Amino acid sequence: MTHLSEEQIVDLYYGEGTSEAGKHVAVCRTCAAEYARLEQSLNAITAVEIPRKGEDFSEQVWQSLKPQLIPYEMKRAGWFSWTKWRSASVAVVCIVLLATVFVGGRYWERFTAKKDTVATNQHTAQRVVVVVLTDHLDRTERLLVQLEHANGDDPAQNALMQSEAQQLLASNRLYRQSVSYSSDPALAGMLERLEGILAEMANDPKLTQADLERLRKEANSKGILFEIRVMLAHIPDKKSGQEPTKGATSI
Amino acid sequence: MQNRDHSVVRAVLAGDKEAYGALVRAHSASVFRVAFRISGNEAEAEEIVQEAFLRGYQQLESFEKRSSFGTWIYRIAVNCALNRIGKPVIEAEYRHGDESDPEQKTVQVAARDADPERLLLAGEMRAAQTMAMQRLTPTEKSAFVLRHIEDRSTSEIADVLGIAPNAAKQAVFRAVQKLRRELAPLRGNA
Repeated sequence: MTHLSEEQIVDLYYGEGTSEAGKHVAVCRTCAAEYARLEQSLNAITAVEIPRKGEDFSEQVWQSLKPQLIPYEMKRAGWFSWTKWRSASVAVVCIVLLATVFVGGRYWERFTAKKDTVATNQHTAQRVVVVVLTDHLDRTERLLVQLEHANGDDPAQNALMQSEAQQLLASNRLYRQSVSYSSDPALAGMLERLEGILAEMANDPKLTQADLERLRKEANSKGILFEIRVMLAHIPDKKSGQEPTKGATSI
Repeated sequence: MQNRDHSVVRAVLAGDKEAYGALVRAHSASVFRVAFRISGNEAEAEEIVQEAFLRGYQQLESFEKRSSFGTWIYRIAVNCALNRIGKPVIEAEYRHGDESDPEQKTVQVAARDADPERLLLAGEMRAAQTMAMQRLTPTEKSAFVLRHIEDRSTSEIADVLGIAPNAAKQAVFRAVQKLRRELAPLRGNA
């Protein structure tokens, strides 16, 4: 027969033992003796006598406690007030931040837009000038090459050359006038020299072989064709939009 | 009683501080009783009562309406007492001796073969019991007081002390073992 453990007997004493344990104690002499010893021990431990407190004890407790208590409404109001101020502060900070970001954004937009516009305008103008001037120089180069190989026996060809010279003379004058205000004396000088040759070619009433020979010599002596080719070579790529060299962009 | 307590709690939470006085007056006696039984000291028990009601006021918003205010404040008081006896201020300095001697810090207890009934009546037996109780851990002491003196069930003890029922049961059992061992020489049996 398995006897009850001390824990089971303690449970039994406090009324929390199992029914099997209760039945076992009823029939087992050893466990019954153990239970009796425990009962005797625990019964001897009696409640300490509670000191008698006067009728006014509760009132004394309350009176000494009362000054320490903060009414709940005030506590709530304080908390609410603090929360209200905190919320208001956060709202003000948010508004200021938003306004700062908005105004800053507007200024930044204007500043960058202005900068971009200036840069874009400059860049676009440069690209247009490069393209137009390059076309002018190309056409001039072709005219001078034609002049180099022309003979006075073909009046139709001479007429075409004169017509081309007249057109180029008009545009060349505009470029030269523009360039004269810029700081590119090399281009200005070249356009000036070119203008003289173009003017002679355009204004000659009847181009003869002798006239053509004189013009060729003048062009060669002035090195106009060479200068034009150098100028065109310095312009990297008229379609790429890259920064043109000095002389091609200074208008 | 419970409904009245609940309406008072509502009034206090609505800002009527004075209403809390009714709860203090109604429950301070039971709170003092358990505080004294755990602490074993009248002055300390009074402080525990103050502390328990103050804590109760501060935590009143967490009081659940479905429970009893009496049980709730009782639980707070036990915890206050538990915290206090957990502090290593009060230590059992006296031991059993052949005679009472303050210098030796001994206390005379009756002989082993003395009549148990006479022992119980004797002051020495009371002192021995007090000393034995002081040697228990705070949890063991509280659990034993709640079980043996306050006649609370294991689940109630677990609830009040905030521990598992099995832990509460073990605390009571350890307390019983220690007390029997301490008090056995006085009765001549275990």
